[in-house]
Amino acid sequence: MRNSRTGWLLLSPTLIILLIFGFAPFLYVLFVGFNQWNVFSAEDGLIFNGLDNFRRLVFDADFLHSVGLTARFAIFAIGSEVVLGFVLAQMLTRNFPGKSLFRIIHTLPLMVAPIAVGAIWRLLVIPGFGPVPFFLDRWFDLQYQIGTYPDQALWTSVIMDVWHWTPFVTLTMLAGLTAIPKEPVEQAKVDGASRFQVFWYVTLPFLRPVLLTTVFIRIMDAIRTVDEVWMLAGGGPGTRFTGIYIWRVVFPRTDYGYGSSISIITLYLTIVLCWLLFIAISGRRKGETE
Amino acid sequence: MKKIFTLVLLLAFALLANMSLVTADHHGWWVEAAAPYAGTTIRGVSESTPPSNYVADVLAAQFTELTGINVEFETTSWDQMYSKAINDMEANTGIYDFVYIEQDIIYSYLAQDYLVNLTQFAGDNPDLAYASYDESAFTSFADYFKNADGDLFGVPMEAFVKVYLYRKDLFEDADIMAAFEADYGYALAPAETFEQYRDNAEFFTAYGESMDMDLWGTTVQGSTGHPASTYEFLESIGPSFGLYNWGINLETGSAQSANGGALDGDTAVAALDYWVGLLPFAPPEATSSTWDEVASSFAAGRAAQGWVYGENAAWIATDDSRSAITGNVGVRLPVTAEGVIEAAEMGDGYIGYYDGGAFGIPHSSRNKEATLLWLQFIGQPSVQAEWAAAGARITHTATFDDPLIAEQDTKVDGYYTLLEEQGPLFAGAPPFPFHAQVREIIDPFIHRVILGELTAAEGLSQAAMAVDEELDRLGYGM
Amino acid sequence: MTTSLRQRVLRLAGTYAFWIFGTLVTLIPIWWMFVVSMRSRVELFGRPNLMLSRFFTENYTNVLTDSAFQRYMTNSIVVSTSNAVLVMVLALLATYALSRYKLTGRDNIFFWLITNRMAPPAAFLLPLFIMFTRTFRIGGWTLYDTQIGLILLYCVFNLPFAIWLLKGVVDGIPIELDDAAMIDGAGLWGVLRHVIVPLAAPGLAVTGILSWVFAWNEYLFAANLTSVNARTITTGLAEFVTVTGTNWGELAAMSMITLIPSAVIVIVAQRYIVMGLTFGAVKE
Repeated sequence: MRNSRTGWLLLSPTLIILLIFGFAPFLYVLFVGFNQWNVFSAEDGLIFNGLDNFRRLVFDADFLHSVGLTARFAIFAIGSEVVLGFVLAQMLTRNFPGKSLFRIIHTLPLMVAPIAVGAIWRLLVIPGFGPVPFFLDRWFDLQYQIGTYPDQALWTSVIMDVWHWTPFVTLTMLAGLTAIPKEPVEQAKVDGASRFQVFWYVTLPFLRPVLLTTVFIRIMDAIRTVDEVWMLAGGGPGTRFTGIYIWRVVFPRTDYGYGSSISIITLYLTIVLCWLLFIAISGRRKGETE
Repeated sequence: MKKIFTLVLLLAFALLANMSLVTADHHGWWVEAAAPYAGTTIRGVSESTPPSNYVADVLAAQFTELTGINVEFETTSWDQMYSKAINDMEANTGIYDFVYIEQDIIYSYLAQDYLVNLTQFAGDNPDLAYASYDESAFTSFADYFKNADGDLFGVPMEAFVKVYLYRKDLFEDADIMAAFEADYGYALAPAETFEQYRDNAEFFTAYGESMDMDLWGTTVQGSTGHPASTYEFLESIGPSFGLYNWGINLETGSAQSANGGALDGDTAVAALDYWVGLLPFAPPEATSSTWDEVASSFAAGRAAQGWVYGENAAWIATDDSRSAITGNVGVRLPVTAEGVIEAAEMGDGYIGYYDGGAFGIPHSSRNKEATLLWLQFIGQPSVQAEWAAAGARITHTATFDDPLIAEQDTKVDGYYTLLEEQGPLFAGAPPFPFHAQVREIIDPFIHRVILGELTAAEGLSQAAMAVDEELDRLGYGM
Repeated sequence: MTTSLRQRVLRLAGTYAFWIFGTLVTLIPIWWMFVVSMRSRVELFGRPNLMLSRFFTENYTNVLTDSAFQRYMTNSIVVSTSNAVLVMVLALLATYALSRYKLTGRDNIFFWLITNRMAPPAAFLLPLFIMFTRTFRIGGWTLYDTQIGLILLYCVFNLPFAIWLLKGVVDGIPIELDDAAMIDGAGLWGVLRHVIVPLAAPGLAVTGILSWVFAWNEYLFAANLTSVNARTITTGLAEFVTVTGTNWGELAAMSMITLIPSAVIVIVAQRYIVMGLTFGAVKE
């Protein structure tokens, strides 16, 4: 019906920018990933080594460990954010005086730069001047040292992420909830559905697309998390997530070849995961008619 | 021939400079030498430390006023500084005209031929050679920025050793001394042996607990998320036990005892065991502490004794706005195992790491001449004393005798005297062209030993194996 | 009647209790940052005290009077604002194209656009560095250390997000409205200006705001691809981490200051954020 040339024209600035600044570096990284290349090795330059880097990473315990940690981090953080965000959004659909003030305060963490988030939380949790270990020790006799206990470091980064990103989830959920038409809910109540039934059979299906989209965006961002955790714990035990592991390999170790191949695999895994979610979102209409 | 001519010329200059003490002459020289470059801008990258901030704030302004050459300074964090300098030099971009070279990375840079040979460059450009700048005026620390021919590649700007600091108010308190003697059967004193150090640490930790004070027995630079812990082990604790060069044998290209290395040897295991064994006597932040947190903890009075980088000694001892223990800081040589000091005096080994950094010119620089003037400016004797007072760093032998430093020296319990007299017992980092690469390999194992996931012996034997693998990959292996 | 009133009061009390608790949890870290920013270095140690003991403003005056800081602030404002505007315009054009035109491989293009946000940044720094310093070189000028470099680069993570957000919004605008406007003689720009932009306004606003915030907060690219002239405020934060004692007070003061502009924007635009964040996923 419409001239697709105009369409391409409208799309072209976006495509050009992303091809240059997104796709071209990707090709470079892909290329380097098939080479052995460490700036400080005895031999200079890139040496093609086929799939060696990829073979190496399959047996790289540190890498696999980092993937496991990242998965745990993402699942716990995003899971809590979704539940909390939904509850908070639900609370925000009610009307009460002062609501917008609470909403604004609740949105604040989203505005703090990740690197500052890491700094704030480091100040909170480092023994010696942080109040958290001090009061946990005083009130509950709990030893809290993120440098000594990897699990605590992992949980601290999860909580930090929840603090930082729940507001985002709340806002999208709130947007989703406000857009749900009133009639089906009313109808269900008239039909005698319990609150849970209303939530499960009416609200949730309506909310599903927003929910999946939010989760999708959070997954993308959680997997690449570097700044906050880097500031918080330097990527030590418990927080050596894939993003940080890549950073360490690429930077202090200057193992560009291996670092690139890990990046490619990580990107590939992220894309597969997101593709599945994407299909789930795109196929929403089919789901609803069932 | 040309070299001899240059030398004669230099000598003549030096004579002239000595005879005419009027600064106007120097002024004239700078203006004349810099005339072709006036108006250009040279740019450098450095970590934001007090000495480098002094260069950025004070010396750069003086230099610009004198020569018309602008100096742009990019100060950044430690990790960032490396990645930016290396990217620039590797890609030959020419962003930086001078870079901060931490002493331990110099051999990597030299191996990649990143740096301009300053000695040779000044020799080739006699018009640019400033008479009062003299390479032999530097302390022995400058030797660690030279190649095999003795040519200098960086103008030292920071230099310090990791010393043993203790709190005099605690160690000289009569009640505490009596209590210690009652418990241990000998007199409380700054430690000279490892057993004594451990006793002190144990005693003060118990003392802090019984008095409900925030006091522990020792610092440990044991961050499990940072290379700082590996550094403390390999460059302070290890050498003082007699473990040198990270236990890596450069000839065989191996860290394993079976192949001539020592990283998994008995000395290394004993050192690591001892060091990790101090953790119960260290403040709880020890496992999150890098060098700056260690200094901060000590300055806050949270540890009775510890290994602290000397660049911090001055502010901990004198700066009220940052330290709670001013006037109470004792400075000694770090504890060593039997025979280590003697060996170091003979030139066999060293007792710790002589740390610091220099400014050098990358080959990629597009303004080498102007930068050479700049580096000579900061390397000249007349600016050293004030800079030393501001940044607790000494790079010239003559600076030790400056009244400004002599006065400072009494306030920091003779740190500068120690640096002057015992400095040569310390040594620069091992000459590895793979410094950061191998350190990154060792890191996780040290971290896991700190966490107690591995014993010292397990950790080090796995580390030695991993190091060998990496050395092979890098092409430095057997 | 009385019970219902009581119920209502109880319910309201419950709501407030919930929100006050939530507010505390949200604010304690920020409050602590504020407390730290109001302390001198020697006061930071010792037993943590959550109360403000005195107004120690030296950290703020030190930061605010620093000329480097002022430059960083200007750069951050210019980069984030330009990037947000650019992203809004490009994303609107792109989503309109994706929504209204039959383009071959439309869904795949859409998904590919989004994958640009997924790349783990560390390994991409090297090619970007080479690109910034070598590829885009005109005489002595390079993209490195320029505001325009960052403005364009930030599109890589902001455009995918913006396009996704706007796609649903534009899809939700009935195509009949376009057609009606065209019958009235409007061209493509007319349709965009008089139909799409007004109807997509909340979505556009939220796109702009969030892009702005993401750009304002970005650290890794800015740290590696700028040097002196185009450094942003987040890279300035890293300067306080030093060997001789991290300057936590000034770091906290600077963090507080960086928080202010984004907080103001959010407060002002609060309403649009909720209206615009539906991702168009819910349609009547």
